[in-house]
Amino acid sequence: MSDCNEGRDAQVDRELAGRLRRAIRLAFDGDANLQRRGRHLETRCLIQIGTERLLLEIHAGRPTIAEQIPLLCSWAFAIRADAKAWSALWQPVPAPGSHDVFALYKRGEMQIDGNLQPLMANLQYFKDLVTLPREGEGR
Amino acid sequence: MSEPRFEPIVGRYLTVPIMDADCRVYVEEAGSGIPLVCLHTAGADGRQFRHLMCDEAVTSRYRVLAFDMPWHGKSYPPVGWQDCEYQLTTERYVQTVRAFCKAMALDRPVVMGCSIGGRIVPQLAHAHGPEFRALIGLEAADHQQPWYDTAWLHRGDVHGGEVCAALVSGLVAPQSPAQHRHETLWQYMQGGPGVFKGDLYFYRVDSDLRGKLAGIDTRRCPLYLLTGEYDFSCTPEDTLRTAQSIPGTRVTVMKEVGHFPMSENPARFREYLLPVLEEIAAGAA
Repeated sequence: MSDCNEGRDAQVDRELAGRLRRAIRLAFDGDANLQRRGRHLETRCLIQIGTERLLLEIHAGRPTIAEQIPLLCSWAFAIRADAKAWSALWQPVPAPGSHDVFALYKRGEMQIDGNLQPLMANLQYFKDLVTLPREGEGR
Repeated sequence: MSEPRFEPIVGRYLTVPIMDADCRVYVEEAGSGIPLVCLHTAGADGRQFRHLMCDEAVTSRYRVLAFDMPWHGKSYPPVGWQDCEYQLTTERYVQTVRAFCKAMALDRPVVMGCSIGGRIVPQLAHAHGPEFRALIGLEAADHQQPWYDTAWLHRGDVHGGEVCAALVSGLVAPQSPAQHRHETLWQYMQGGPGVFKGDLYFYRVDSDLRGKLAGIDTRRCPLYLLTGEYDFSCTPEDTLRTAQSIPGTRVTVMKEVGHFPMSENPARFREYLLPVLEEIAAGAA
């Protein structure tokens, strides 16, 4: 791959990471139902979009994204995929196979690892959280 | 005073001898004509077919019946359930369906099942085809690849109902109306502890039908397989592969539908189902 392509890919990763960052900041504040459902949740997780990594600190269900990931930092679990997979998931009406975290996982386009207990105990919360950038009703 | 707004569905309890126990089974029905027995998905119950039972285009020619499997919905587990772990097996499932049809004295019913109900349909065709007028498998295949560890479905530090619903929520198509999406998920939230997991024992462990479906005579018992394009559990490719192994199978991939066609998008589903029911009724005439 050329340096030019790598640069373009990194730019796309940054744009999508920015999109998730804004959605979590703005859409979460406007989603009383999501706040209510997550109210007992305390955890830290990593969302990776290509080369971009976002560390989510969640207290009483409220996520904040660290400006920088501290050195030797740990998190409970991570959800990782490339920009293409995240972008497909966030389409207003995603295509079959790209419409759910586990659809992507089953196809090998998304990786989920770590201590999954906080994820599975709050699964719909996290599914809704990571699809906040999606526009429309298909969540 | 206004008249009560009853739906045409009537529910009753029926004693069904299944293997070594009399089971108290809840059954709903509507309509008259050719018996159409509907099998719900794993971890859910017969309410999934409520739209079908209120559809005159169906009930004018079909007697639609949906029962809750023992352990599901309003059917209790068998006496002594507290001392065992629920595990559905192929043998138990086949016997349950046949025992229900016998207890109801149904004459060569059509059986339509979804998901685990779809998986049992080819097995019914294979082992007991002449007993049925036709068989319809929704989200049906001879095998499919698992996508999560079922241990998550029943453990103390994860709410069973919430995780079951959240897992299957991705199997509903994005286009399905919110009301029907959330009614579908509500049933998963209401399931008894370990019941969804016990159903998936059949689905994951005890019913790999690949290479075991020889001898199905689709001229005598027509077999229809319909799968939603958004079903990533039983994918359209899984269904198409299965259909290729059974000569004469009619297969349809349903657009903008997921794993629960009858409950997640009843209006879209009927567009696909009515022609099938029409064809079966024409063959029966």
